[in-house]
Amino acid sequence: MRYPEQFDVIVIGGGHAGTEAAAAAARMGVRTLLLTQNIETIGQMSCNPAIGGIGKSHLVAEIDALDGVMGRATDQAGIHFRVLNSSKGPAVRAVRAQADRALYRNAVRKILENQPCLRIFQQSVVDLLVEGDRVVGCKTQMDLDFYAPCVVLTTGTFLDGKIHIGHEQHPGGRAGDAPSNLLAQRLRALPFRVGRLKTGTPPRIDGRTVDFTKLEQQPGDDPRPVMSSMGQRSEHPAQTQCHITYTNDRTHKIIRDNLHRSAMFSGAIEGVGPRYCPSIEDKVVRFADKTQHQIFIEPEGLTTTELYPNGVSTSLPFDVQLAFLRTMRGFEQAHISRPGYAIEYDYFDPRDLTYSLQTKALEGLFFAGQINGTTGYEEAGAQGLLAGINAARKVKGQSFWEPRRDEAYIGVLVDDLINLGTTEPYRMFTSRAEFRLRLRQDNADQRLTPLGIDMGLVGTQRRQHFQVKMRQLQVLSEDFARQSILPGSDLDAVLALNLRKETRLLDALRRPEVSADGVAQALAVDTNDEVAMGVLRQLEIETKYAGYIRRQDDEIAKIRRHEGMQIPPELDYLGIDGLSNELRQKLDQQRPASLARAARIQGMTPAALSIILIHAKKVVSA
Amino acid sequence: MTDAVDQDLICAIATPPGQGGIGIVRLSGPGAKRVAEKICARGLVSRKAVYCEFKNAAERLDDGVALWFPAPNSFTGEEVVELQGHGGPVVQQQILNALCSLGARLAKPGEFSERAFHNGKLDLAQAEAVADLISSTSIAAARAAVNTLRGDFSNKVNDLIERITTLRVQVEAAIDFPDEELEILEQAGVVEALKAIVQAHKDIIESANQGRLLSSGLQVALIGAPNVGKSSLLNALAGEEAAIVTDIPGTTRDLLKVDLLINNLPIRLVDTAGLRDSEDTIEQQGVARARAQIAQADIVLLVVAVPELTDSGVKEQIQELREQFSGAQGPPPEILVVVNKTDLAAPPDLDQRVNHAAVSARTGEGLTELKSKLQKLAGYTDDATEFSARARHVDALKAAAAQVDASLLALQGGLGVELVAEELSLAQRYLGRITGDVSADDLLGRIFSEFCIGK
Ligand SMILES: Cc1cc2nc3c(=O)[nH]c(=O)nc-3n(C[C@H](O)[C@H](O)[C@H](O)COP(=O)(O)OP(=O)(O)OC[C@H]3O[C@@H](n4cnc5c(N)ncnc54)[C@H](O)[C@@H]3O)c2cc1C
Ligand SMILES: Nc1nc2c(ncn2[C@@H]2O[C@H](COP(=O)(O)OP(=O)(O)OP(=O)(O)O)[C@@H](O)[C@H]2O)c(=O)[nH]1
Ligand SMILES: [Mg+2]
Repeated sequence: MRYPEQFDVIVIGGGHAGTEAAAAAARMGVRTLLLTQNIETIGQMSCNPAIGGIGKSHLVAEIDALDGVMGRATDQAGIHFRVLNSSKGPAVRAVRAQADRALYRNAVRKILENQPCLRIFQQSVVDLLVEGDRVVGCKTQMDLDFYAPCVVLTTGTFLDGKIHIGHEQHPGGRAGDAPSNLLAQRLRALPFRVGRLKTGTPPRIDGRTVDFTKLEQQPGDDPRPVMSSMGQRSEHPAQTQCHITYTNDRTHKIIRDNLHRSAMFSGAIEGVGPRYCPSIEDKVVRFADKTQHQIFIEPEGLTTTELYPNGVSTSLPFDVQLAFLRTMRGFEQAHISRPGYAIEYDYFDPRDLTYSLQTKALEGLFFAGQINGTTGYEEAGAQGLLAGINAARKVKGQSFWEPRRDEAYIGVLVDDLINLGTTEPYRMFTSRAEFRLRLRQDNADQRLTPLGIDMGLVGTQRRQHFQVKMRQLQVLSEDFARQSILPGSDLDAVLALNLRKETRLLDALRRPEVSADGVAQALAVDTNDEVAMGVLRQLEIETKYAGYIRRQDDEIAKIRRHEGMQIPPELDYLGIDGLSNELRQKLDQQRPASLARAARIQGMTPAALSIILIHAKKVVSA
Repeated sequence: MTDAVDQDLICAIATPPGQGGIGIVRLSGPGAKRVAEKICARGLVSRKAVYCEFKNAAERLDDGVALWFPAPNSFTGEEVVELQGHGGPVVQQQILNALCSLGARLAKPGEFSERAFHNGKLDLAQAEAVADLISSTSIAAARAAVNTLRGDFSNKVNDLIERITTLRVQVEAAIDFPDEELEILEQAGVVEALKAIVQAHKDIIESANQGRLLSSGLQVALIGAPNVGKSSLLNALAGEEAAIVTDIPGTTRDLLKVDLLINNLPIRLVDTAGLRDSEDTIEQQGVARARAQIAQADIVLLVVAVPELTDSGVKEQIQELREQFSGAQGPPPEILVVVNKTDLAAPPDLDQRVNHAAVSARTGEGLTELKSKLQKLAGYTDDATEFSARARHVDALKAAAAQVDASLLALQGGLGVELVAEELSLAQRYLGRITGDVSADDLLGRIFSEFCIGK
């Protein structure tokens, strides 16, 4: 049956990518449908119940700056907040929150259910509807056809998902959910390169069987950070503790003795797992000289006793899981409530995508999230947001939004994926961003909210909040540029500056030993005034980084200039002498739209760029 | 890496190497006039030849004319200045150095033509030719760059890169994985490591003969007893009668320096007074200067002459020379024994371990072999692209060294570790111009293999 209503954008999958995609498209006012296997699992965290972390909270901040879901939901569900890297500079500081799984799901669902222009429908999608080289809709399990010119696919780990526990294996999208095998089969028949990746999760433990008196406590931070730039501490539910324990030589011995029974080590798994998220058996083998590994014990929620022991993801059989867990301090009597497992799934080579996340092969089809070879809620959410935006823009006949590497971590993520592809699940790190000093969590709104306003993504509330902040920042920076401190004055003494000549307040703030808090005290600003302090801190960061940021400006100006140099799509790369064979093939395949994009292709040289540009000019003027 | 159609200031020697007469250094890009006026110490006039001295700070390098072509009416279509001087290649290199220290960078092969093309100064028919030129010269340049990266120099550069990478692995791991109990270097350790890297940079720049050559010219001293034919050799190598030659021992008194190209290798050849004990105070002074010159030289040509010549006599002289510079600072000069006047008698058999060449300054016999031995000693090939490739390496090394210095300052100044990381990554990017980039993924790979990371 053909569903009677026509949609503009259909999003398949209600995970982290899918929810952001659906919400973004709907915010932009196009008729959006979210199709997902199970409405109860919308916003479900498949693995650890935490949002944020270094590089990741940067992505959340960017989603938030465009009025997305993840940051807001985290403030409504977070039960333990910390600032990571607080002793380091602002560019690499990050917020990490433990979330109550149920609260998080509810928060996401509530946001979606209150979103105008968005419909939700519970059904498994089994096929895409394709006409020629464009997608026109999709078909569900009960043979229901939905039509829309743009479809965003975000089915996560579900495509031909296979769960491994020791030598046992069974099909599954994640524990408790069915895989999407029909859809996977169908997609394999389309012209996409498909590979297998793997990830794993630890066993969960019943908290009533853990002896907390033996464990190190890890409280949340005080003052407690918020995730969204509009977040309030008052939104946060009750807060709780995390704990820390360690593996020991007995743990390691049990694991070593049973390696042959691990799915990973017995060769049953062909997919590649992430190097930064190794299973405990991996760690024990690769770092044999380490006598212990730290395990963070994270609560799964306020209303459950289940715990998530972060650091012991495994595909060992259940009896081994139980045995090695019980060697650890505090876990002597531990009861496992759900066994750990590894999961293998299909992903699509992201090099088959364009910067908008539209596939090269099928017009109107966008991919986002884990299916593009990434891992993590934040990485998925960021892609979902981008794909949702671009699907909506396409419907509206607007050009795609393609953020650059110097604008956003989202830009770094997409640029890395589509140029370099990936051989392991891709996770964001700040070291991937060469413009790290600009791409901060604290200025994500300044970088992106204006764009979001232009694109019609940002609601009134956030827009006003942002404008107020910007006005205050401007007033303050003008103030600081005007005011100066005289040598020997009270301010000089309070700030311990030892000035020799009159100095602008702004320049004093540039000094490493002068902090926003110090200045606030000296100027008698109320340090409990969140808004005033936020603006002051922002000014401090901008002042302290100013020199470094200016230095990057040249580089960025160059990139922009190169972006302006368009390469005609019909350029015959194969016929260009002076390019290596390998480069010719890559160029022919990728057809970069601008010189800047061509420059990002692996193996590109300045000489080759020159040659491309010369030929591009020839085509244009011919 | 995206250097095509940059709008920065580039410079290069525009006349082919090895040709005498006038040498042109060309400067193109915004600020060309401003920078050139600093070198010329006077204002330039549009499209008019202005006579001036070329100076690096206070030091006079050369004199000649400067021509300023405002954009777009120039060869490249950009603002261009040509400095036309008389000095040889060493002087031209010094002028380039001065320009680079004022913000210009060395042009890449074909870059002037490329800019000309992009600014519509060449027609479409010429475009293909420019593309061909770029691809062929860039292949040659790449090959040259690889050639210069053999042996000792390459080992040192690789060692340097390895050290910086190791440090970056630690710094980046500390930033991206603060929850892990990583064995991150203590602040003091990082300072030590940075200091060692700064020193390594200095050593390597020094040892890349080029560094020395580019700043002061490779010094080759003619040393020997009176009347063996040192001055005659200088004249023969220079191809002109620069030095006075007589059959009177003790003719040369003062140092005589001549810049010349030997197989495209720019060197500064220094003639000295013949070494002997003398009553004459002027000659005594000359001999003292000759001895001082030994320590300053990169290469000493120890000139001896037939017929009164024995293997043991030569060895004695070498021994004496070595004693001369044993106390001096810096690396000792290389010694090449030149047996002169072979037209008078056949040279005796000399120990094969002694690096020597037999010549006749009078007939010119053996000069070619002498030149190629000299060239080998200097560590050069006669490939001009290779020469400039190495100049670019030294450039990159210097830029990287400045960044490492900056990261040390950042660390000692109490700035955040992310700023130390920023400077280090820039340093590595400069070094990447020599050996290729170390990507973020390479770095992460190292982090994951060296530290046990992950949940
Ligand atoms: C076992 C395991 C361990 C993990 N470990 C980590 C970790 O340690 N760290 C980390 O950062 N990340 C981890 N992840 C990854 C993290 O869960 C994902 O990156 C993230 O959930 C991806 O979001 P997504 O939206 O792409 O997909 P998902 O969150 O998987 O969402 C997919 C959605 O699509 C729906 N769907 C699937 N097929 C269909 C269909 N045919 N029709 C309709 N709807 C469909 C599903 O119901 C689901 O709602 C792990 C995941 C798993 C399963
Ligand atoms: N036959 C012959 N005579 C040479 C040769 N080279 C130099 N002479 C002669 O040797 C004499 C000394 O030559 P110079 O070049 O002045 O020697 P010098 O080593 O510079 O001498 P001082 O300056 O006095 O130390 C001159 O008469 C030259 O003509 C040669 O290759 N063959
Ligand atoms: Mg002489």
